[in-house]
Amino acid sequence: MTRVFRNSCLLLPLLFLIPCVASAKVSVSLRLDRTEATVLDSFKMVVSISGSRGSDSKPVLRGLESFSVTQGGTSSRVKIINGRVNSGIDYTYFIQPNKPGRFEIGPAQVTVEGKTFSSNTATIMIVDQPQSAGVDRGPLFLSAGLSSTKAYIEDQTIYTLKLNRQVRVTDISLALPEVEHLVLKQLGKPFEYQSVYQGKTYQILEVRYALIASREGNYSIGPTKMSMTVYEPRRRSPRSFFDDPFFSFSTGKPITVASDLVELNVLPLPEEGRPADFGGLVGSFQIESKLEPSEVKAGESATLTVVLSGRGNVNRIPDLKVPKLEQTKVYADQPVLQVEHDDKGLVGSKTMKWALVPEDQGLYEIPVLTVSYFHPQYRRYVRIRTSPHTLSVVPGEPEQVKASADFGSDKALEGPSKQEVKELGRDILPVHASIKDLRPGFEVRPGGLVFWVITLTPVLAYSLALCGMRFRKKSAGAVAATRAKKAANTIVRQYRHSQVRPSDLALQIRNYLNDRFGLSLGSLTPGESAEILRSNGVSLNTAEKLRAVLERLEDAVYTGKAHESCDIGENMPRLIKQIEKEIG
Amino acid sequence: MRKIIGIILLDLFALLPFVPGMATESQQWEELFFEANQAYKEGRFQEAVDAYGQLIKSGHSNGHLFYNMGNSYFRLDELGRAILNYERARLLMPRDADLNFNLNYARDQTRDVVSESDGFVSTTFFWLDSLSLHELLWSFVVLNVLFWAIVIARLFSASDGIYYVFVVVLVSWLVAGASFGLKWYHVGADDRAVILNKEVKILAGPDIQDTALFKLHTGTIVHRERSEDGWSLIRLSHKKRGWVKSEAIERIIRIGRV
Repeated sequence: MTRVFRNSCLLLPLLFLIPCVASAKVSVSLRLDRTEATVLDSFKMVVSISGSRGSDSKPVLRGLESFSVTQGGTSSRVKIINGRVNSGIDYTYFIQPNKPGRFEIGPAQVTVEGKTFSSNTATIMIVDQPQSAGVDRGPLFLSAGLSSTKAYIEDQTIYTLKLNRQVRVTDISLALPEVEHLVLKQLGKPFEYQSVYQGKTYQILEVRYALIASREGNYSIGPTKMSMTVYEPRRRSPRSFFDDPFFSFSTGKPITVASDLVELNVLPLPEEGRPADFGGLVGSFQIESKLEPSEVKAGESATLTVVLSGRGNVNRIPDLKVPKLEQTKVYADQPVLQVEHDDKGLVGSKTMKWALVPEDQGLYEIPVLTVSYFHPQYRRYVRIRTSPHTLSVVPGEPEQVKASADFGSDKALEGPSKQEVKELGRDILPVHASIKDLRPGFEVRPGGLVFWVITLTPVLAYSLALCGMRFRKKSAGAVAATRAKKAANTIVRQYRHSQVRPSDLALQIRNYLNDRFGLSLGSLTPGESAEILRSNGVSLNTAEKLRAVLERLEDAVYTGKAHESCDIGENMPRLIKQIEKEIG
Repeated sequence: MRKIIGIILLDLFALLPFVPGMATESQQWEELFFEANQAYKEGRFQEAVDAYGQLIKSGHSNGHLFYNMGNSYFRLDELGRAILNYERARLLMPRDADLNFNLNYARDQTRDVVSESDGFVSTTFFWLDSLSLHELLWSFVVLNVLFWAIVIARLFSASDGIYYVFVVVLVSWLVAGASFGLKWYHVGADDRAVILNKEVKILAGPDIQDTALFKLHTGTIVHRERSEDGWSLIRLSHKKRGWVKSEAIERIIRIGRV
């Protein structure tokens, strides 16, 4: 059961893929690896079939009457992009031209499941091979060439390097010449093909550069140096066991080859006819514009899109500006520059967008935007302009709650469709103009006097409270000591100055002990009193004397003689002095 | 003693705006503030800069004025000075939404890519960046008073309730104290400066003949290590250091001010 479930889980994604595969449309495309070649070069053509893993028969190729065609094999491909399966097959052909001229190759026709599909066509220019007069340049050499020996400032010329070889090479590195005011920009990856030079077949490695001069003058470009490791087949005796390609041992050695110098004459851009708004754009350009939507409500936005595209120094395409429009707010979007290249040089486009928000109803004429550039082939300045556009603005809806006719339906409850908040422009927020922004708060400088006062005041308060408590405690102790010191005198004085009754004397002795030893006892037995004296260093004899006095006083009190004088058997002042002495 | 009296007088002077007799002068500053705002609205940005600068020099150094000054410089296309003033405003009102929006927008306009990694302290005390020094100071002051009040209360009563309040306040007091101390140290040790010129070459030494190491553009924030004879040694990262003319940069922290 588990196995069945697991297999089902594995197959489930495939079930989702089936409709994708089935629904994929079949398409055929044809492409060449370049647009220009000599009659001695061979170039590659690929016919790609997408949406099918095969065809009923091989592609039927048209427009190849002036070429020799060699089948180069097939390759299948399967791609999964965003869950969609895209399968296809590529047919590769190597084509050798028989004569110079401009040729349109294609379309290629393919039959898939009984249906015939046609590809696009491709154009190639075949030129005569300029032959060096009888110069044999060996099995390895580097040649350099320019598409034109004359160019204008900022005009792009194609600088082509070709490594011609009859030997195997690896580890190729290139050192381009550095010429002041000249910039080289590589156009695509290097590509290989076969060609014939002086009757010999060479394998060509070609790389192209767009060359742009920023100043006029005569420039000598080169030599460009290419370093590599060259492998030459080692000669062996015929009929050797190893005389087989499989065993063709070879050794590598480092070699550097250099191209010839090429001359380029860079001309200044003509002063005559130069428009005032010319910004250095050189090449061939087009401008397109559109306004979407062309009718809006007041307060809503329409987007004006201008695309300036072409071939040339596309990095110099200017940022256009829409002039101020009456009763219309204009928000410019960040322009998007796309730079690409093909084998003829740099191409690109700049897309500029503006959000136009009319404030009132009416018809608004959008001004025409113009750009000037220099066309090197025509040798003159060209001004291109956008199409005129008119924005129709209808009154905006008053802001009030409208009773929906289909209230209660699901659509009405859903409300308007949600969309991402679109950024129309960027700017800083305004200044803070409220007068309360100026008024300072109660500012305390860290480290300032106020700061330390505020910080240390609680600590000071705590210290004072602590000191107060300790002082109070100490004061209580001092009072007790004073009372203790005075206790003996008090009892002696009281004893001498009055006729002491037993109850009073017992009370006085208790007070004496309380004061003397800091006690707060309400009543004391004779035994407790003696014990207190003993614990405070009084001798046993003296303590027992006091105990005896207290016992007699207790007897007198309990026998009804509390208010009569009685013999206590001891000289009380002397006894107190003895106690004081022994406490010491 | 004389110094203490001087400090007391200085602090009393700081309180003068609250004294009714100073209302006329306060009104003058408010008028200047209004004029500066008006100049900004009418596009006279240089006049706005001058007026805001006058207010700041007069001691009205609050974040709003630096913010307004930054806006004026931004409109004058002086990105470096705009960022400088926004950063100064941020020290005083770090959570102001308008300020952070404008500062981010101004930073987007700079040309140099500078990566700054957060240190251990900044990561641990993550809230420091969102609080100004004065806010932390007042937090600490309030908690300090509360803490010592509870400590005093505990001298007279040792109830459980007071003990638990004491523990909570103690932790808060320690956190606030550490935060305030760190912020105070960071502000004091803030060596950041802003490149004011459109483009400056950073040289290997304090001499115009020295090798140019790299270029920086207006608005880039660097760390200023020291100055010598009209030149400042700046640091961008551990690998990028060099000398630049002192007038090409300005420190975010104003000398003698927080």
